Amino acid sequence: MIQTIRLAGELDLSRKRELRDAFALSSDARAVLLDLSEVLYADSTALTELLRFCAMAQTANAPIAIVIAAPQFLRLVQYAGLATAFKIFHERGEALRYLSERTGN
Amino acid sequence: MGRSELRLRRPAQTRSVAPIRRALRAFLEALAFEGSALDDITTAAGEALANAAEHAYAQKTKRRRCDVELLARFERGELSVEVSDGGCFIERSPLPGRGFGLRIIRAIAHQIQIETSHGTRIRMLFPGPLLKS
Repeated sequence: MIQTIRLAGELDLSRKRELRDAFALSSDARAVLLDLSEVLYADSTALTELLRFCAMAQTANAPIAIVIAAPQFLRLVQYAGLATAFKIFHERGEALRYLSERTGN
Repeated sequence: MGRSELRLRRPAQTRSVAPIRRALRAFLEALAFEGSALDDITTAAGEALANAAEHAYAQKTKRRRCDVELLARFERGELSVEVSDGGCFIERSPLPGRGFGLRIIRAIAHQIQIETSHGTRIRMLFPGPLLKS
């Protein structure tokens, strides 16, 4: 199955614990859709937790697609030098197609 | 446009970061910053504030009040944003933990100065907004 994790609002230091709890891989997940399309602001705390989760998913051989819409968030990824570390999409349908191709669903 | 200034001091706690960041954004909007410049300056300041709140008071004691202060000043077409604390600013390598903050700040600010003589102060300089004629 494709596990979906959806977060919204401002992802900053004050939500570090919540991010770590949310970024948990289900035992039956074959792929993960991280829908962050309603995130309005993100900081390096979010990037660190995203990296941690991506490493976890890579170990489990589960591809991750991240949906980001906010220009601030997209530029943050660039500034941190992580543009190639994540598979980022601008809209959900595109991300789901990418994951479906990789899971054979 | 003359000189404008915003000065805020709050306890160095994680929950102080967002209100200071939002106040800075409102200040910048009033100065006619917009679009990516508005986002980027807010992002850089947010990283400095988060770093201060998370790390600056690692050695704090119960008797000592721990604050973080932001001073934004717009003068002669240039914006400076300073974030200061009474602890020590931590410059870390980007991996594996939280350490992207300084990298992000350096990518955004036109100039950055870090002073550690009396507590720590990070000063970022940015060009003024492009005013529509």
